[in-house]
Parts: sequence; C-alpha cells; structure tokens
Amino acid sequence: MERNEIKDRVLKVIAEVLDTEASLIGEDDNFVFDLGADSMQSLQLVAGFEEEFGIEMDEDKALEVQTVGSAVDFIAQYV
Amino acid sequence: MPNRSALHQENLEKIFNPSSVAVIGANTKKGTVPFDILYSILSGEFNGLILPVSPGKKHIAGIKAFKYVTDIDDPIDLGVIVFPSTVANLALEQCGQKGVKSVIIISAGFREVGEKGAEREKQLLEIAGKYGISFIGPNCLGLINTDPAVRLNASFARQMPAAGNIGFLSQSGALCTAVLDYAHAKGIGFSKFVSFGNKADISEIDLLYYLMRDEKTRVILLYLEEVTDGRALMQAARDIREQSGKPVLAIKSGRTQEGASAAASHTGSLAGSDDICEAAFEQAGIIRCEHIEEMFNIATAFAYAPIPESNRVAIITNAGGPGVLTTDAAVRQGLQLARFSEETTKALKKALPNTANIQNPVDVIGDATADRYEAAMEAAFRDENVDGVFVILTPQSMTDIDAIALQVVEAAKKFNKPVYTSFMGETDVASGIRILQQNNIPHYILPESMAKAFSTTCHFGQLLRRKAGKTDGATPASGRLKATAILQHAAEEGFNYLQEYEAVELLKEYGLPAPEGALATSEEEAARLVQTAGFPVVMKIQSRDVMHKVDVGGVVLNIQTEAEARAAYQAIMSSVSAKLPEARIQGVYVARQIPEGEEVILGLKRDPAFGPVILFGLGGIFVEIYKDVSLRVAPLTREEAMDMVRKIKAYPLLAGARGRRPRDVGSIVDAILRLSQLAMAHPEIRELDINPLIVRDEGEGCFAADVKILIK
Repeated sequence: MERNEIKDRVLKVIAEVLDTEASLIGEDDNFVFDLGADSMQSLQLVAGFEEEFGIEMDEDKALEVQTVGSAVDFIAQYV
Repeated sequence: MPNRSALHQENLEKIFNPSSVAVIGANTKKGTVPFDILYSILSGEFNGLILPVSPGKKHIAGIKAFKYVTDIDDPIDLGVIVFPSTVANLALEQCGQKGVKSVIIISAGFREVGEKGAEREKQLLEIAGKYGISFIGPNCLGLINTDPAVRLNASFARQMPAAGNIGFLSQSGALCTAVLDYAHAKGIGFSKFVSFGNKADISEIDLLYYLMRDEKTRVILLYLEEVTDGRALMQAARDIREQSGKPVLAIKSGRTQEGASAAASHTGSLAGSDDICEAAFEQAGIIRCEHIEEMFNIATAFAYAPIPESNRVAIITNAGGPGVLTTDAAVRQGLQLARFSEETTKALKKALPNTANIQNPVDVIGDATADRYEAAMEAAFRDENVDGVFVILTPQSMTDIDAIALQVVEAAKKFNKPVYTSFMGETDVASGIRILQQNNIPHYILPESMAKAFSTTCHFGQLLRRKAGKTDGATPASGRLKATAILQHAAEEGFNYLQEYEAVELLKEYGLPAPEGALATSEEEAARLVQTAGFPVVMKIQSRDVMHKVDVGGVVLNIQTEAEARAAYQAIMSSVSAKLPEARIQGVYVARQIPEGEEVILGLKRDPAFGPVILFGLGGIFVEIYKDVSLRVAPLTREEAMDMVRKIKAYPLLAGARGRRPRDVGSIVDAILRLSQLAMAHPEIRELDINPLIVRDEGEGCFAADVKILIK
C-alpha cells in the first residue's frame, strides 16, 4: 500500500476519534500536545487503526507513537 | 547560594503570587487531574487571570481555551503543566518561548517510574536551564497560597484550607491531602502549602529559604522521604532560625529502613543513616517529629503562642487528678513547676475558696466558675517566676465551659506569656475547644502532648538566645600535606586501609594524641626501639594482609624487658607466618603501652547525605553492646564537641562520679575538634575508629590506644 493512501486513511480515523477535520491535521502533529488526545482517545485511535487496516498491532509500542507521521510509518510495517 | 538558587528565589515569587495562571493540558473531564486543577483554581477564587491551554477545546468551564501557551497574548506569570509526562517537555519548551519563568509540573511518570522517566526529567531540566525557568515537581500535588490577596489553589486537594501562619512543605502529595483534611477538622490554617514531588529543580531547600522571607509564615513544617543534601538542609534551618527566628519542624520517614550491610568499623556499625539524620536535625535545631499529630501539636504552639522565656509553668485545674497527671507530664518533659511569689499566693488565697489548693498546681475546685479561672490566670501570669500557664478543665455539672474558654482567650490577649489548654473529654467540651481553636489558643487532648509542645518551644527559645559558635580553625598546611602523602601511599599500593603505624603518624599530624612508637623490621631493631619507647611496651604485627591482628597472634601487650621484647618479636613472626603464610609482613609496631584510664571511642564516617559524621561514646570491646554514643556532623564548634561528650549516659563516669577523680574531658573535646578538622580535610578517609581512646585523669590528657582508618 502506498504511503499516501495509508496517511489519508490514518487522518480519517483521527478526525473521527478526535472529532476534528482531517484537513486541520499535520504530519508533525503530536496526538496529545497538538491534537488534545487523552488516554482513552489514544486507545480508541489504536483500535480504530486496527479496524481500518484489518491489522493487529503491538499495543504497547503503538501507544508510544507520538506523532501522526510516525503512526503512518508504524502502520506501514503491518500492511 | 549558587546562581540557580538565586534564580529560584526570584521565580518563586511568581509561583506563589501570580497575576495570571495558564493551566497547560487542561481538559473537560471532571475527576481527572487536568480538570480538577483548573477547577481548584476557579473555586478557590483566584485573584487573577485564568488561562486554560487545551488543544482541541475552544472553552473549558466557560473560559476561553487556547491551543498553545504561545497563542496567549497576555503575559503569563505561572504555568501549571498537567499534560502527560510524554509531552510535558513540549509544554515546558513553549513556556520558555512565551517567557513564562515560573512553572509547576504536576504530571507523574518521571524519575519515579524508572530509566525512561529519569531521561524525561533530565530533558525538563535542560529546557529549564535554557530559558531560565524554575519549576516545582514533577510528580506533585501542586501548591496553595491562602493569602487573601492571591487565593491560589493550584492543586488537586479537595478544598482550600483556612488562612493561617503555618507553611507546609511535603515530598509526598497524597500525604498533603490527608494533612489538609486533618487540619481542617482541627481548625488549623496555613500560609503556604506545597507538594514538591520529585524536587527535580526547586528543592525543599529553595522552598525553606522562600518561607524564611515570607511574612505570612511563622512556622515551617517539612515532610521528607529522602534527604538529598543534608548539609544544605542543616544550613537552611540555621539561617532560618538566625535570620527570622522561625522554627523548622520535620518528619523524616523511613526510620526503620536501616540497611543491614556489615560495617568494617565500630563507627560504621553504630552510626546508622537514621541515627545520623536524628543527630544532624538536632545539631541544626530542626525539630524532628514522630508523626503528623505531634507535628501539629508543636506547630500550633509556635503558631499561636509566644515562645516561653524559660521552663517554669503554672498549672490551673478544676480537678486534682488531671492536675497530678499534668504535673507528671510536665516533669517528664523537663519542665519545672513554678514556685509562686508571696504576692501570687496572697492573690490566690484572696480569690479562691478555702478548699482550693493555692500552691502549684492550682486547684480551683470542681464548682469553679469563669471568674475563679480568671483570678487564678491573672495571678499566675503576673508572677515573674511563671513562664507559661497550663489551663486544665474537666466538664462537671456546674462548669461553664464556654465562659471559661472565653476567659482563657481574654487572658492570652492581655499577657505576653504562653497559655496552653487541655479541656478534657470530647462531646461536652467540644464547644469550648472550638472557641479556643477559633481564637488560636493551643489546645491538647492529652497533658503529655501539651507538656511536650511547651518543652519543645522552650528549647527552641534557648537556641534562639544562644550565640552561634564558630567551627574550629583549619589544620596547619604542612600537617595536611604529610597526611595526604600517607593516604596516597596506601592508595597507590592498592589498599583500602592504613596500617597502624601509618594511621598513628596521620593522627599525630592533626595533633591527635597517640603514644610514641615506630616500626621495627628486625628483632634487633625491636630490642633497640623498646629502650627508646620506655617500658611497658606493646608490639603489633604490621601487614597489609592482616586486618584483625589479635586473631593471628599478632599482638603482645605489657612487655616489661628487652628479653621479653625479643621473645615477643619472635612469637609474633612465627604465629603470623604459621597462620597466614602468604601474608606480606612490613614488621612489628613497637609503642609505649598507655597507662590505665577510661576507655572511650572516637570515630568518623561519611554519610551520603550529611557528609563527614563524628562519633563519640563509651569505648572498649563492648562498644556495640552498650551503644552509648553521640553523633554530630563535621565541622564542629567547641560547644558542639562539648555537647557530644555531655550527651552520653556514661558522662558522669568521665566527670568524676561517686568520689572518683574527674577524667580529662577537655582533652576529649580537643581530640573531637581535631578529628573534625581531619574529617573535613581528607574526604578520602571513609571510616575511622579510635577505640579505645584512653582518657587519663584531669590534666593528663587522652591517648589513642588503637586506630583503624579505612580509605576509599
């Protein structure tokens, strides 16, 4: 899967979980510091990514991912 | 103080007295720390601007929220970071960019969780250093300033405490909430209340100096779980006492966590970390408390009443039994029952019924009204022989409890002497106690607590009046150089202790008395040396491979002739060679045997928090059984050295008990001071034992009969 496709789908999940617009989200954005994700939303994001891509990720490592760009790269390892 | 400490003092001003506070990482979820902190500030009626920073939120609790702290146009005095630890560094970086110099980091997940957290804490310090930021925390509950001009509750404590003059600093956040609840029930107010958590940047030392200057604070309370810089803590307590007259009360937890590691010296074994902490606190005038209740019992005495001039108390009671109990408690705490002047006795006789006891303790009898209490208090307060008054009340059917409480309040206002109260019971006396508490009259459930509080304030008063002594002068440079050379030589040879002849030589460089002696490397030399030393002599094996000389037959005492000396030399050599064939032997140390005297121990140990610690006590082979020792942190003043000697239980033996001639106590004090100099000059000495130090009669000095020096 192309990186751009992964990124678009990641942004879609983030926009849904954090109730924001995909166009307002940048690759360098930190989930907590820039997008305001709390601990519950972080778990929802991991679950959302797994469902979107039909994958099962290492949850501890997934929760350590801090930025949108890193999340795209992390998911790319599984798809 | 170093520059960073000076910066902290400047930045603490805005931490405690901000005009605007940004809560960075706030959210809208009730019951979470980020929300509760914001809510505490709001409900505490903060007298300034509140600015929530919360990405993704336009407003919180009706207040406009900002995405970043850098988006705020107004100047920000204080930043309170409640973001998770993983992004606290980003928040602090932005505080730096915005010019916020004063920060509290509430977030947990730093040093306390391990290596990754420690790394995050290090990052915070780097950012703080780069921007000139000072921060409290991380991993803390926050702080409270009750000053009506500020009213800042930047914490997740459930309620804002009442305003008062007690400053409270705590390393534990959870304990803070319990203390606030306890104090609320007792009607105790605070000036400042701080949880400092991991103390990564601003430490308890910085906070102590801030409270020293804080006009609203009269008493400082400290709860510590670890002492990081014991010497700075001691200095802070001394500075606070000398410059502001404020007492520092401390609870240091972890008394029972004494390490069980085997010590190589008696001093190492006798001076445990909590013993050292206890001694250091006492030396610095820090009042160590056992528990929260005791701490507040004493704190309220300092906070509400004047410090007594001396320890003479008058007891006024409406029942004989409680009067006796209070007398017992007072005497146990080292207080004296005041002897009333003739004038006082006359006044009491005139005011009280014939059945009353007009001697101290004064019994105003069970049917006493407020008038009788008033007359008794008036007479006692006016007496020059009375330094403080204890008012005891038991609730009898004719006792007007509230009226008597109000009378105590009036008397306390009228006279500049302390009055402490104990209204005994619970339900019946509750309203009277409330009157006392509302009017800042120290009240105690138990006479024992009352007497302890009075005794403590009295002792602190003595410290305030005592002029600070000076530590004894430095060692002559030549002595220091020679001693360093001896220590270096042993270290270069790869050994972690000195041989006795080296140790004795080192002691002598510091003027510590040891008998004349020298190293003999042959029987002939030993025979010659005994003539010079003078009989009787003692001979000891000198080998880096022999730590315990007696165990290998390496010591012969009481040698009276040259022939005995030759035989002793041979005996030592053959015994050591037989028991330790591989031992490298330097020779035999020959020294004059010290005549009899009292055996004491002098020692030195290095503590990670307090540095060099001096030990003195009853010596000899039973030193670890009697454990009759005193400890002090070096350097020492002459008064402190004298206190060490007087403090041991066996002191009367040295002072000349039961008709014995007094020993040379002055020479012990000199020896302690010289050991203190040696301790300060040679950090490479890890532990040192002089055991026994034999103390001769007055004027005849003391001598180190055996010495062990362990080096790093």
